[in-house]
Amino acid sequence: MSHAGDKVGTWIGWAFFADLANALALTFGYMFSRSVTMQYPDKEKWLPYARYRGHHFLKRDDEGEIKCVACELCAKICPCDCIEVIPYEDEKGNRHPAKFEIDTARCLFCGLCEDACPADAIALGQQYEFSSFSSRDLVIGRDDLLGKPGKATTGGAVVAARLNTEHDVLVETSELQGYNWWRNIRRT
Amino acid sequence: MELIVALGLIVFKVAFLIAILLLLPLPLTWLERKIAGHIQQRMGPMRVGWHGLLQPVADGIKLLTKEDHIPAEADRFLFKLAPILALAPPFVVFVAIPFGETVSVLGAEITLYVSNMNVALLFVFAVIGIEVYGVIFGGWAANSKYAVLGSLRTCAQMISYEIPMGFAVIGVVMLAQSMSLLEIVRAQADVWNIVYQPVGFFVFFVAGLAEAQRIPFDLAEAEGDLGAGFHTEYSGIRFAFFMVSEYAIMLLVSVLVVILFFGGWNGVLLPLPPILWFVLKVAFFVYVFIWFRFTFPRYRYDQLMAIGWKVLLPLSMANIIITGVLLGATAAP
Repeated sequence: MSHAGDKVGTWIGWAFFADLANALALTFGYMFSRSVTMQYPDKEKWLPYARYRGHHFLKRDDEGEIKCVACELCAKICPCDCIEVIPYEDEKGNRHPAKFEIDTARCLFCGLCEDACPADAIALGQQYEFSSFSSRDLVIGRDDLLGKPGKATTGGAVVAARLNTEHDVLVETSELQGYNWWRNIRRT
Repeated sequence: MELIVALGLIVFKVAFLIAILLLLPLPLTWLERKIAGHIQQRMGPMRVGWHGLLQPVADGIKLLTKEDHIPAEADRFLFKLAPILALAPPFVVFVAIPFGETVSVLGAEITLYVSNMNVALLFVFAVIGIEVYGVIFGGWAANSKYAVLGSLRTCAQMISYEIPMGFAVIGVVMLAQSMSLLEIVRAQADVWNIVYQPVGFFVFFVAGLAEAQRIPFDLAEAEGDLGAGFHTEYSGIRFAFFMVSEYAIMLLVSVLVVILFFGGWNGVLLPLPPILWFVLKVAFFVYVFIWFRFTFPRYRYDQLMAIGWKVLLPLSMANIIITGVLLGATAAP
């Protein structure tokens, strides 16, 4: 009985386009939902999570000395052979890199150098905007690597940003208080 | 002197109408992309002007400056003729469309229509039938299989759907006892035709969707399976002609729906000026067209034909018979 009733109801629904009306109501509702578009680079920028593997950076120890001991383990483990390290010995007898170059054009950002490093000297940070017109500019030397931004702390958020055409860096963040982008997506 | 003033007025009206019809696709494309964006939880164009308002202007400049490409194997004469044939009829049709009764400007009464034909409805259907030639010629002349397939589909679709569209209107003509659009609107001063002719409205609207080649009946230019249908090979300003024609027909169907079934410029409840009522109703139906586009999938070709011949045609026939019987029954004593 109820089955037959369902069938009749389905037919009545079809006759009056219940399914089409449902679809229209759904799309109408979505028209007034919050947009998930991130207005990068005009207004917003995505700050990656702390585990994000972006541009490499070299760390310093508490005395301000470079942590790297130039053991060349990173160069050994690198699957695309893009790290070149030349060591030297300073006056105290410590090993440090005289030259530490990463060819980011060839790097595949696997993070193995970070894992291999015995001195916790190299890591992959949060920066992801380093496009260039020349592949030669993508070979980053020791001193540049020391100045690169570290791991993200406020990761997983959208922050206010604006287009900056005067510097090489496209986006300059002005505040660090982000809102949680994923939470704002409407779920129905 | 009288004649010169009358002629000048007509020229002014026609120029005004053409300007509006040529410029209206700009806000309509913006609106369509914005509505599409928000339905799909995007933002649509945002970067050119405030909320992308100038995006259609940028697109227009792009289309104007693009290469006007004609395929080597194309029939050059027909290829050049087709966009004009597609563009002209929707513009011509608007000559017969009234937008209101009269307005007084500087003490003179000016009618809000170019001409009040007593067979305006017939004129509209006759002229809009020519538009299909643009599509067929365009598809044929390009000498491309996608274009030919698209124009074959369009040909069958337009002819199939013009029949129920014409039949659906007969009920309205019977109620108004006139084929003049002005008289039809005047006859709806008290009760709109939608109350008497819901089936007629349904048939007309669905057939209008098919005539305007909008989703769910946009088989002519089904991007997924035909490239872009009949205008696959068109580029630059000729492509823009087809786009403008498409929007003009969409507008025309909205205007016809409003005039025939929704009381034209007759308002209800709110005492707004008649022309504003008219614009609001037309805007609503244009929105419905866009809303449909981003809600429904496309019908299969056999389904399209089945809907046209097996559903809409019998429905419109039954509508005529029932309207006639009821009219006869009420007018008998």
